[in-house]
Amino acid sequence: MDQIERLIREKLMRDAQAKTRRHFIKDCATGLGGLALGSIFLGCDPLEPKGKKEKIVFSDRDLNPLATLPPPYTPKVKSVIYLHMAGSPSQLEMFDHKPVLHKLNNQDCPESLLQGKKFAFIKGTPKLLGPQAEFSQEGESGNWVSNYLPHFKKVIDEVAFLKAVHTDQFNHGPAQLFMHTGSPRLGRPSIGAWATYGLGSENQNLPGFVVLTSGGKTPDAGKSVWGSGFLPSVYQGVQCRSEGDPVLYIEDPKGISRNLKRSTIDAINKINKEEYAKYADPEILARINQYEMAYRMQIAVPEIMNIESEPENIKEMYGVEPGKESFANNCLLARKLVEDGVRFVQLFDWGWDSHGTDHSTAVDLGLRNKCREIDRPITALLLDLKQRGLLDETLVVWGGEFGRTPMQENRGNKEMGFKGRDHHGDAFTMWMAGGGVKKGACHGKTDDIGFLGIEGRVSVHDVHATILHLLGFDHEEFTFEFQGRNYRLTDVEGEIIKEILA
Amino acid sequence: MNKKIVSVIGVILGLFSLVFLWNLLKPSKEVDFSAEIKPILNKHCITCHGGVKKNGGFSLLFEEEAFANTESGKPAIIPGNASGSEFIKRLKEEDPELRMPYEKPKLSDEEIDLLTKWVNQGANWGEHWAYSLPQEVEIPKLTEEAGFSSENTAVVNNGIDQFILHRLKKEGVEPSPSAEDNILARRVALDITGLPPNTVLFQNYKTGKLDYEGMIDSLLAQPSFGEKWASWWLDMARYADTKGYEKDLGRSMWQYRDWVIKALNNDLPYDQFTIEQLAGDLLPNPSIDQLIATAFHRNTMNNDEGGTDDEEFRVAAIIDRVNTTFDVWQSTTMGCVQCHGHPYDPFKQKDYYNVMAFFNNTRDEDTPDEAPALRFYTPEQQESIDEINTWLSNHGDENTAKVYTDFLRFQEPVYKSHSLQDFINGSYDDHASAVLWNNGSCRLENVFTHGSEYLYFKHYSYYSGVSFTIRKDNAEGEILTQFTLNKTEEPVTKRIPIKRVHGPINIHIEINNPKIPKTTNALHIYWLGFLPDIPGSDQAGFSRIQRAFDKAIDFKAPILPVMAENPEYISRSTQVFERGNWLLQTDTVQPATPSVLNSWEASWSKDRLGFSKWLVDKKNPLTARTLVNRVWHQIFGRGLLSTVEDIGSQSDFPSHPGLLDWLALRFMNEHQWSIKALIKEIVVSGTYRQNSELTPETYQQDPENELYARGPRLRLSAEQIRDQALAVSGLLSPKMYGPGVMPPQPEGVWQTVYSGEQWLESKNEDRYRRAVYTYLKRTSPYPSFLTFDAGSREVCTIRRTVTNTPLQALVTLNDPVYLEASYHLAKAMQSSDTIEEQLIHGYEKATLSTISPEKLNALKALYDTSLNEFKKDNDGLIQFLHFDANPTAELGALTVVANAIMNLDEFLTKA
Repeated sequence: MDQIERLIREKLMRDAQAKTRRHFIKDCATGLGGLALGSIFLGCDPLEPKGKKEKIVFSDRDLNPLATLPPPYTPKVKSVIYLHMAGSPSQLEMFDHKPVLHKLNNQDCPESLLQGKKFAFIKGTPKLLGPQAEFSQEGESGNWVSNYLPHFKKVIDEVAFLKAVHTDQFNHGPAQLFMHTGSPRLGRPSIGAWATYGLGSENQNLPGFVVLTSGGKTPDAGKSVWGSGFLPSVYQGVQCRSEGDPVLYIEDPKGISRNLKRSTIDAINKINKEEYAKYADPEILARINQYEMAYRMQIAVPEIMNIESEPENIKEMYGVEPGKESFANNCLLARKLVEDGVRFVQLFDWGWDSHGTDHSTAVDLGLRNKCREIDRPITALLLDLKQRGLLDETLVVWGGEFGRTPMQENRGNKEMGFKGRDHHGDAFTMWMAGGGVKKGACHGKTDDIGFLGIEGRVSVHDVHATILHLLGFDHEEFTFEFQGRNYRLTDVEGEIIKEILA
Repeated sequence: MNKKIVSVIGVILGLFSLVFLWNLLKPSKEVDFSAEIKPILNKHCITCHGGVKKNGGFSLLFEEEAFANTESGKPAIIPGNASGSEFIKRLKEEDPELRMPYEKPKLSDEEIDLLTKWVNQGANWGEHWAYSLPQEVEIPKLTEEAGFSSENTAVVNNGIDQFILHRLKKEGVEPSPSAEDNILARRVALDITGLPPNTVLFQNYKTGKLDYEGMIDSLLAQPSFGEKWASWWLDMARYADTKGYEKDLGRSMWQYRDWVIKALNNDLPYDQFTIEQLAGDLLPNPSIDQLIATAFHRNTMNNDEGGTDDEEFRVAAIIDRVNTTFDVWQSTTMGCVQCHGHPYDPFKQKDYYNVMAFFNNTRDEDTPDEAPALRFYTPEQQESIDEINTWLSNHGDENTAKVYTDFLRFQEPVYKSHSLQDFINGSYDDHASAVLWNNGSCRLENVFTHGSEYLYFKHYSYYSGVSFTIRKDNAEGEILTQFTLNKTEEPVTKRIPIKRVHGPINIHIEINNPKIPKTTNALHIYWLGFLPDIPGSDQAGFSRIQRAFDKAIDFKAPILPVMAENPEYISRSTQVFERGNWLLQTDTVQPATPSVLNSWEASWSKDRLGFSKWLVDKKNPLTARTLVNRVWHQIFGRGLLSTVEDIGSQSDFPSHPGLLDWLALRFMNEHQWSIKALIKEIVVSGTYRQNSELTPETYQQDPENELYARGPRLRLSAEQIRDQALAVSGLLSPKMYGPGVMPPQPEGVWQTVYSGEQWLESKNEDRYRRAVYTYLKRTSPYPSFLTFDAGSREVCTIRRTVTNTPLQALVTLNDPVYLEASYHLAKAMQSSDTIEEQLIHGYEKATLSTISPEKLNALKALYDTSLNEFKKDNDGLIQFLHFDANPTAELGALTVVANAIMNLDEFLTKA
């Protein structure tokens, strides 16, 4: 890169960072921005402190920490939909075709593979477990997919596979944290928080970072997987729910009409303006703005969370079940949310931990059902985004927190009643689709039994670097200063996976 | 040579050297390394030439590294010779490939000039101010006209004001007048007790019965003081009611929370407060309270997720303790040093593991039962325990007595089931027990039996008639004990005679009973323990004591995880983790403190107790500064050093360095580590008492109030917002202490994996307790607190970022907790006669301010609209006031108004 160009970009980057809330007050002093005032206080009384000559000028983010900021580099996508299969799906029954493993079914796992390895539950010498699904090559790309996902072949050419992702965590909690915050320990911001902090949100009536869960449980690692870590808490994910209030406390108390809520907010803001006239504290203006936003959000959120109003053919395409908590509903919601300018939509679907301890966690039984639950919705999501021209500006990411072993689990050193696989971090499959992603690509390869990556291995940090790149960030420059150190999502690692970029 | 010539040459030489020296020293004053050079190095150089990367073999972190030979074979800095120093030459280089900083903009001329001057002056290395002791500073003298203006009093009240005014004068900024009495009373009450002042206190102050200082003393004496400041400390202590990680099951930690509240209320001096929390268990004859205090470091998370390695998460907890200790007491991010030397502060990787060696010797091992756990006995149980203890002190030596006292307190030391290995027909079951089937066996290595006559063995047997054998070494070894186990109803402890053996041995454990079906669980083993024999076996009453002891082991009692040190014979050694990876352990290290800080006194024991004494030694440069900076931050919303997490070479420079040191020294010496005295000193200052009004001019001059030309104006904390709403509505329960309570929260918020635990809404006054008592589940904290920036307490939090979001508005507008409070405030308002008086009553009760006509108009308009609506919509009214049997439209309208009052900026803010 040309030296001057680089310097200009660095400057832009620094400016973007400087506009964060942390620094906003300094910006005000130098009179940066001030654009948003007019649009926010339409028809309001002039906000001049009494008897004080000079008007204070504020930047967009003074009044609204989610105000949109341009990324430092040209972005390929505006928003991200991240589909996380919590518990970790078996790549060996879905995408990673291993005919040799089929032949080695029920044979003892070679000792050489077990040496120095730690597993969550496998003890002693386990047996290899052949794939329980049938595989075929589909689409023009000829990429492999199993018969557990019959619909997915329609969109297989939209997708770029990463077949040899690896992580060093093999317990759910730490691995999920690592996948979403770049660290297996608590305290770091999640990727969605980083994106929202860096870019703000395009829709001021909705949260910038929305989380949707299905499968009856929230992720193992708890709400920290969409937490804001050391970033201001305004950037954390907001959980939107299919049952109860879509966002906590969004509904007016029973018996309070919209009209009465409007009057309430008018009274509050009128008094707050009086207060501002006395104290001239910009926080008061920000609060006036937040109350207006809250009022609008109360309309916008229930509206967007209502999937009933979607056309029948769309509902059928996703296979939604209105009123229930389902992955299909969440996929449709994800499309609606990015369509309306939400920056980051995070889906967690629980129930992928196929240990084989019972029917629901057997790779030949329960896993098949789980695949059925996501196959149509994911296919519909990609097709729907595409038909609306949104796929070019959206990134869809799919994966779990790790993969599963080619060996059959033998918990407690016993033969188990169902076929299951233990946690496995050395090689697993993820995929991406959307703007800037090479369609039909397949990067990385595992060995004959799918135990280790032998080509194109990529780390969790690499995946993060690539997502940030597509959003218009250089992951090495995108930092936040905390405790005297500049932190970044990718810590001190991460390389962009160029092989899957268009 | 002629003497005269010699002397002339001498004179000339002398003159030359004088001129030379004069030239060197006179025209440019000496560059200050700490203030002028170190910041440049940290900003531009240290990333590539520091503790992590040492490009070209050159690092600027430590003096010896900076002047050492680099990869070129020569040193980069030649003291006294800038033009010959590569360090300076590279800064001026035109070729971008050679110029430093590499691929970055050239340093400014001023910066290069300074560095050049510094090298020419001899490149004197200095210590960063943060690592030197606080300086005795003279309080700046003020001229007569300086001062905070006030109608009533002259308010240069103490040294704080002199430091603040001195700087203001220098900057040409005027201080603000005192805040009005009512504003000030509300501010100081919220700061000290977290609540608005009660009516009596407020009236006494307003009417002059009580002066300002009297009011402060009264507030500091209220028990609500400890409840308010506990939230601050508990954030740092990462106190929560659950264990964290995947399962996040409940744990019983609340006794520690109560200890903090009591310690703050009793004003336990900060040095003692520190020692008891870090090492209360190592004090001579520790009290129960001192043991409870050690739960500070048992607030680390405990991982019960299936398939996790207990040792990995034990190590994770130790690492958290090291990091938290340095975060809390030293404002130092030791976490950085886990993997490599500190990138910018003078700490080496080995320092980290030296400190870890102090903490690495506790009994806790990430087991689901959270052992060691202090047991709280009922009075009847305690009677029996006392009897045993009396016997032991009458008949045995001090050591034996202590072993038994400890064992009855927290059942340690024992060998836990996760140490069992080499399972045949059995396995470790991941729930703190090992499980064996028929013909099952396992091994335990390196067991110290102390030549005991008995083995204590906690187990759960599903069958009767199971033969249980322990052999020495292996399956063929000598039988040490053999007996028959019977079916038990629950886990119980059994005392079994065992052959006396001396010295560490390996034992083989096996069970047999052919009647047990194949691969069926027959026996759970939780732990094995050996105690020296109970003394006095030849005395009358012995067998009664023995039986009492056997019974006492299985007493059911509430517990609290605490710290307990490993006895010498099972002490752990600590090794450096290569690149921070706990599986790659290298050099063994000994307990030691970082050399850049205060030195170690020989009289201190090399354990946590010694370490905590080192921390609160008056020669530690960071402890007192850290504490006063953070207390100041709690009150002003900004530290004297704004980076309250970090005092070191990368932190900001203090706005008032003299004041920081002055307060730190006073805190240690005059105030004898009294936190209350420190708080009082701050809040009686004229600085604190200024009003917080801004003008565009003063705002632009100093947006962050770094100069303190006005009082603090800050949004209240999550806890304060709840507590205040309950207080003004008269709902707040004064009940203190006890297990966490569950006030109403929306349905379906708790939805965690593998846990049947539920949010069971508290009844009666427990619904209205102060926020500090709200049950905190780490993976799913109380949602409205989270919205107002409280954390999940999974790791140490030094500072909450204060945000301003629409979701906060939704909480105070729509959360039923706030509606209930509004309703009760509305009912109180009805005690006044006219509508107007009722509105004034509500507003003044909530804000302690007189309402302006404009504000009253706004409330009146809202009242009228609401009244109209409810008169027209009786159904709506009934739904809205569903808790009232006979709701009236007037009460409905007043409730709407009361809720609006609770959403006013002035209500959510201390001004």
